[in-house]
Amino acid sequence: MTGGIPKTIADLPTSKARYIGERVPRVEDQMLVSGRAEFIDNATLPGMLHGAILRSPFAHARIVRIDTSRARALPGVFAVVTGEDARATTAPLGTIPDGWGVHCLAVDKARFVGEPVAAVAATSRALAEDALEQIDVEYEPLPAVVDAFEALKPGAPLLLEEKGSNVVLHKQFRWGDVDAAFRDADRVVREKLRWNRLGANPMETFGVIAQWDPSEATLTCRGSYQTQGYMALGISAVLQIPAHKVRVISHPHGGSFGGKGGMRGTCIAAMLSRQADGRPVKWIEDRMEYLVGGAGQAWDRHYEAALALRSDGRFTGLHVTLLDDLGGTPEGAGAISAAKPLASFTGCYTIPVAAYDLTLVLTNKLPTGPYRGMGPPPHNWVLEHLVDTAARELGIDPGEIRRRNFIAKDRFPYEIATGNEYDSGDYEAALDRVLEMSDYRRLREEQAQARAEGRLVGIGLVSTIEPGVFDWNAYAIVGVPMTGVPEGATVSIDLFGKIVVKVGFSLEGQGQYTVAAQLLADYFGVELGDVRVVAQDSLSAPPHFGPGGSRLGVALTGAVLGAAERVKAKLVRAAAHLLQADPGVVVLRDGRLEVPGVPGAEMTVAQVAAVMLTRSDLLPPDLEPSPEATCVWTAPGRTPADADGRAKSYLTAANACHIVRVEIDAETGQVTIDGYWIADDCGVRLNPANVEGMIQGGVAQGVGAALLEEYVYDADGQPLTSTFADYLLPTISDVPIPETAAIVTPSPFTPLGAKGVGEGAMHTTPAAVLCAINDALAPLGVQATETPASPHRLWKLLESARSHAKSNR
Amino acid sequence: MKPPPFAYAAPRSVADATALLRASDGDAKLLAGGQSLLPLLAMRLARPSLLVDLGRIADLDYVREDDGMIAIGAMTTKTAVERSALIRTRQPLLHDATRLIGHPQIRNRGTVGGSMAQADPAAEYPAVAVALGATLRLAGERGERSVDAAAFFPSPFTTALEPSEILTEIRVPMRAAGSGWSVLEIARRHGDFALAGAVVMLGIESGRIASARIVLFGVAPVPVRVSAGEAALLGESPGRPAFEHAAACARDAVSEPLSDPHASAAYRCHLAGVLVGRGLAEAAARAEGSS
Ligand SMILES: Cc1cc2nc3c(=O)[nH]c(=O)nc-3n(C[C@H](O)[C@H](O)[C@H](O)COP(=O)(O)OP(=O)(O)OC[C@H]3O[C@@H](n4cnc5c(N)ncnc54)[C@H](O)[C@@H]3O)c2cc1C
Repeated sequence: MTGGIPKTIADLPTSKARYIGERVPRVEDQMLVSGRAEFIDNATLPGMLHGAILRSPFAHARIVRIDTSRARALPGVFAVVTGEDARATTAPLGTIPDGWGVHCLAVDKARFVGEPVAAVAATSRALAEDALEQIDVEYEPLPAVVDAFEALKPGAPLLLEEKGSNVVLHKQFRWGDVDAAFRDADRVVREKLRWNRLGANPMETFGVIAQWDPSEATLTCRGSYQTQGYMALGISAVLQIPAHKVRVISHPHGGSFGGKGGMRGTCIAAMLSRQADGRPVKWIEDRMEYLVGGAGQAWDRHYEAALALRSDGRFTGLHVTLLDDLGGTPEGAGAISAAKPLASFTGCYTIPVAAYDLTLVLTNKLPTGPYRGMGPPPHNWVLEHLVDTAARELGIDPGEIRRRNFIAKDRFPYEIATGNEYDSGDYEAALDRVLEMSDYRRLREEQAQARAEGRLVGIGLVSTIEPGVFDWNAYAIVGVPMTGVPEGATVSIDLFGKIVVKVGFSLEGQGQYTVAAQLLADYFGVELGDVRVVAQDSLSAPPHFGPGGSRLGVALTGAVLGAAERVKAKLVRAAAHLLQADPGVVVLRDGRLEVPGVPGAEMTVAQVAAVMLTRSDLLPPDLEPSPEATCVWTAPGRTPADADGRAKSYLTAANACHIVRVEIDAETGQVTIDGYWIADDCGVRLNPANVEGMIQGGVAQGVGAALLEEYVYDADGQPLTSTFADYLLPTISDVPIPETAAIVTPSPFTPLGAKGVGEGAMHTTPAAVLCAINDALAPLGVQATETPASPHRLWKLLESARSHAKSNR
Repeated sequence: MKPPPFAYAAPRSVADATALLRASDGDAKLLAGGQSLLPLLAMRLARPSLLVDLGRIADLDYVREDDGMIAIGAMTTKTAVERSALIRTRQPLLHDATRLIGHPQIRNRGTVGGSMAQADPAAEYPAVAVALGATLRLAGERGERSVDAAAFFPSPFTTALEPSEILTEIRVPMRAAGSGWSVLEIARRHGDFALAGAVVMLGIESGRIASARIVLFGVAPVPVRVSAGEAALLGESPGRPAFEHAAACARDAVSEPLSDPHASAAYRCHLAGVLVGRGLAEAAARAEGSS
């Protein structure tokens, strides 16, 4: 249902929107800053036990024997489970593509360091960890394959022997006559680029309290779930209990960015609870578990890419070859991340044809999972790097070459080579704005001066698309068969006119509760505080997905307004009956149902709702006494993918143009970011403060990606970054606060014209910072082609440039 | 990440504490600010049967002038050092070094004694102690003794402390008139342990270098004195040629450079040279400004 949903803020039944579109303080913040939100580790249930997980110390090892008898004998230990229990009572974990799953506890062999091997439930976490030390596991270490290229070779150690290969997927896509484009090009730029593993690091790791009810054979899982309904399906499949017997309750959680995962942890906690006769079992992933064995590693990628162009700088074709290292199994949506770039493959540019040679391979490392942006951020870096190389070779300014290739603002909706359709945009406006804000000409003058002094100053200018409002059909090429992502909301008005909206997700940090409250307060003419957002569990909520893929702001707007429209229809019928008017002439406006032009013919929303709930005798006989309605929204016009993955997938295409100025210390390789400007277009801003938060957070993660973050494994598959002393997140001292400007090109396809922006600057900042670094390095003839651009890596480049210069002398 | 079981004692005097250490036969650990020890316990890398908390012992927490030296109690927090006017004015090197340690939260709890006893190769304080020629006072069952900083850090994460000894005080000399100092480091992020660091002190008399101290940290298992560089500086006039030569000595001074994913041995040695060069320039400017 989309027909009746207001398309613009002006279409809302209010003479002046007081909340939506304004910088409204977030309704969820009171609860968060006062420490009242119930994060899962604060929750306690009667009789609750604490779980701990024993993990493989080897990257690849046969499990010869496990002896749990000493652990079981410890007083206070109530359950011990191993891979044998998993084999006996559970199905393998689901994977994308299908059919590569292993059990939640390793059966027969372990495939990565940190893979769960056994677990204990005891009266305290400390005791449970003591018990883990009493479990004897005999391993027979196997050769590990850690490098993606090695994993492709015949004779490489196999992760799943029965598959006969480590290659999960190998496909070549040709969208148009790419060979001709490259054959006929005036020039081709090529680059090999390496994006190293990094990932989400929410403040709170994953945690769960699982409880079996042996009497009803049901399972309840409370936890820090990003997507409770989706998780419930997976849990049901793995634990082999019907979905209607699994209840997942998402607690408020401290961020996610895709890293919450939780499938293995939930299933293990559930197995423990079942063995402990239904006592609830809490398992909180600690930070080392998160870093070594969690769901937070993503995008371990080897790229080779080429851009074909004409001598005037117009791009004619793009060819990207990606070898994506998924780690131990494809259980964590790593494959989806390799498919999502199709939604914005050619960026902001009119590149008529494109090719993608995609190989997904397994290695003995942690399975990769989703991370904010879900795949395009590395792809955007590759594309923007090629664009900069082209600009340099042709002697065209990076802003100018982009301008020449931008999709013009009058060409929307615009179908890109890979089949997705961009809704709207004005990329030149964003470019112009950011050029002006940064005083780009002066930046270049200062750069010239700095270069003359021997300083390495660089300016990065990049322009990217953020696909918004994800749809499953975007992932068809890796075997996802669905189209449409339902998101539901139920709106009810009580007899005092107060409003409750029930949703299927919990607090995660983005401020969606505030958006729901803003919408309903304006729609029904009440105060923000008269609206309450209530999270429902997976069984109580209408069909839902929750946050993910830059979609919830838009999807929730659709669901809430759709439900509000339906409530309004009921109120109108009741009011018309009470006012003895034709329903066709009764309108809702500013919280009143009225017959325009008839003085006194009006009732407040509260009055009508109260009559509906308390005086059925006054209602038309066929009207249900319920000022409540549900709407389940999904993006309109989505098409199933064709054999090459072409589909109308992500509904919106937000755009951002970033300029960043860096200086590299020529002696040490350290990078300082000393200027940052952003013009961002995510359509109509439902709450500008929320949008700014999304952008600033994305900048922080993008700086981490460009300069700091990397999961490192040694040649045996041992993780070398198992604490925050080695996995380096950006801190307040590393993250610039950019100067920002909003460009507003409303989406013609979404309720109120908003576009997805939840992944924000993560799409743009890594490319912007890395392009700036390479701009600084350009005069030396070297380029950073690997992330992160750490001082050590940059120093090695500087050294090679110096020795090169010497040998040329 | 929960420690294995341990017993806990909070003695009221140094004598009681050493008695507990002796009774436990090397199986006890002293607890100061806990900023290094608690993570080790949580990761089960340290498994003492007894934790002896020094936090209840009166009078291990002070900064005072004593006999022409600055005396610092072992339990003095880094924040207290950072805020001490005596240290800021009379030994600014120590003040500056303190600000490079971790973050305010860590400095609020972490102690001077803890950093010396932890002897982390990348820590600032051991190098500063060596550069300043500090003296460490230790209390044990047989009474007290003093050890020169130069002899206190024999190998990484180990010290001259006997198993039942407690570090009670660190004594540092005051800055000599006409001398300049510098402490510089390269870390991946502000507050991280250094990939490389250099402590430099320079005395300048009548336009000539009269004394020099160069100590590196973060590059080798223990603080490294760049004696060749120090010797070469003596008698020279402060300036680029002399500093570059000393920097080259620093690059060569490290016989067993550390190496990890963040920085190779070669990079660390290179950084040591860069920092010594920059540090000497900074120290010289300060020396000239102060005399
Ligand atoms: C995030 C983070 C960043 C940090 N960054 C830095 C940094 O940049 N530079 C740096 O130098 N340090 C850094 N540290 C370490 C910090 O400075 C610690 O405080 C210090 O290493 C130990 O001091 P403590 O008082 O906490 O000692 P504890 O952790 O309590 O003890 C450390 C060790 O010293 C022993 N010990 C303590 N006091 C005595 C004593 N009086 N006599 C004998 N033995 C004793 C203990 O038994 C233990 O073995 C960092 C720590 C963290 C957590």
